Amino acid sequence: MKKWKIACIIGLTCVLLTIAICVQLNTMKEANSTVSSDYAENSLRDEVLKAKQKYDETVNQLDEKEKELAKVREEATKDNESASQKEAQIKENNNLIGITELEGEGIEILVQDDPNVSTETIGALDSIENHIVHDGDLRWIVNVLNNAGAEAIEINGQRIVNSTAITCVGNVIKINDVKVASPFTIQAIGYQASLMGIDMPGGYIDYMRDWGVVVNIKKVNKVKIEKYTGALQSKYMQIAN
Amino acid sequence: MKKEKNIIIISIMLVCIILTAVILVQFKAVEETDITGIKTAQESELKTMLSSWKTKYEEAAEKLAETEQKIQEYEAKMSSDEEAEELLDEELMQTNILAGKTDVSGQGVIVTLSDNNEKEIVSDDLIRLVNELRLAGAEAISINDKRVLNTTEIVDVNGNILVNTERVATPYIVKAIGNQTYLSSALSLKNSGFIDTCTNEGKTVEMKQENNVKILAYNGERQMKYAKEVEEE
Repeated sequence: MKKWKIACIIGLTCVLLTIAICVQLNTMKEANSTVSSDYAENSLRDEVLKAKQKYDETVNQLDEKEKELAKVREEATKDNESASQKEAQIKENNNLIGITELEGEGIEILVQDDPNVSTETIGALDSIENHIVHDGDLRWIVNVLNNAGAEAIEINGQRIVNSTAITCVGNVIKINDVKVASPFTIQAIGYQASLMGIDMPGGYIDYMRDWGVVVNIKKVNKVKIEKYTGALQSKYMQIAN
Repeated sequence: MKKEKNIIIISIMLVCIILTAVILVQFKAVEETDITGIKTAQESELKTMLSSWKTKYEEAAEKLAETEQKIQEYEAKMSSDEEAEELLDEELMQTNILAGKTDVSGQGVIVTLSDNNEKEIVSDDLIRLVNELRLAGAEAISINDKRVLNTTEIVDVNGNILVNTERVATPYIVKAIGNQTYLSSALSLKNSGFIDTCTNEGKTVEMKQENNVKILAYNGERQMKYAKEVEEE
C-alpha cells in the first residue's frame, strides 16, 4: 500500500517535469528558429543591439553631465547678479526647447486602436485602416493641444520638440525616430479647462470614436513630462545679422 | 529501515521541486530576453535601424563632449576666479537660437503653396509640410514669417489659416533651414513626396533651394505658466 503511494507521487512528479521540459524545449526551438533563420540577419541584429546599447549608455552619461553642468553653472554665477540672471534664462530656455523634465497641471489622453476588430473579423467592405490610430491623428491632437495653449506635450514618453516629426512607414508610427504603438498616452501641461476643450461634441475626437477608436481624456493635477533624449541640432542655422 | 526510506523519498521530492523551480525561472528568462522589435525585424529594416541608432549615437556623443567641455571651462574659470560671463553669453545665445528667440539664417529651401481656381490650401497641407521638413532635418521653419515652433498651432478658423494666433494668407511661403539636399530630395520623392502628393491633389506647389534663407524670430513672449522643472531629490 505504502509503496504504491510513493511510486505514484514520484511518477506524477516525473510526468510533470517531463512536460515542463518538453514545453521549454519547444519554446526554445521556436525562439531559435526566428533568431537564426538567416546568419546575416543574425549578425545584423547583434550590431543593432550593440548600437542601441551604445546610444543608451551615451544618453545616460549625457544626462548626468547635463545635471553636473547645471550645478557648475549655478555655482559659477551665484555671486554675480547679472550672471545669475543669465543662468536663469538659460534654464528657462532649456525648459522651452524640451531638454528638461517638466511637471504641472494638465491632461492625459489615451488613444487606442479599435479593440473590437482584427484582420480576421473585419468585413469585406470595411478596412482595418478605418479603425486604427494614424500618424495624422496624433499630429492633429498635438496641433489642437497647442491651439489650446499646451506648454509641453509627450506621446508615449517622446517629448514633442521643435524637430519632432510624427511619421508612419508601413504600419509603424515613429516619433522622434522612435517606434511607438497603440495604446498611445498623450500628456500635456497647460490650463486644464482650455485643454479639455479639445473634446468638442461633434469634433474630430468624436469622429475618431465613431470609427471605434478608443479616446479617453482626463484631467491630471500633476502631469510629468519626459525630456527629449536626443541632441537638438543647430548645424545649419546661425544668428542672422 | 523505514526511516531511511522516508529520507530518500523526501530528498527525491526536494530535488524534483528544485528542478521545477529552475525550469520555471528559465522560462521567465527566455521571455524577458525576447527583444521583440529587433527579433522580428527584416534585413532591410535592420539596416535602417542600425544606421539610425548610429547617427543618434554620434549626435549624443557630440553633445556629451560639448557638455563635458563646458563643465571644464566653468571649472577653470572658477578656480582662477575669473568671471564666467563669456561662457554664459555663449550658452545663452545657443539656447536662444534653439528656442526660436533670434532671427536665423542658413542654407535651406523655400516652398510656396498657393490657392488656385480649383483648390485651396488648408491647414492640414501646412501641417504635413512642416512634418516632412522636420523629418528631413529642418532646424528652423517659418510660414509667412511666423516662426513654427514645437508649441505652434496651424489651424483653420472661419476660412482663414492662423499660425501662432496670427492670420496668414495665400501665397503661403514656407521657409526651412537645414541641409539643402536632404530637404529638397525628401520633398521631391516620386509619388510619395510632398510635392507630388500635393500636385496630384491639384494644388499649386513650388520649391526652390537657397543658400541664404532668413527666418525671423518668434514674435511674442515664450513663457511657461503651468509647467515647472522637476526638481531632483
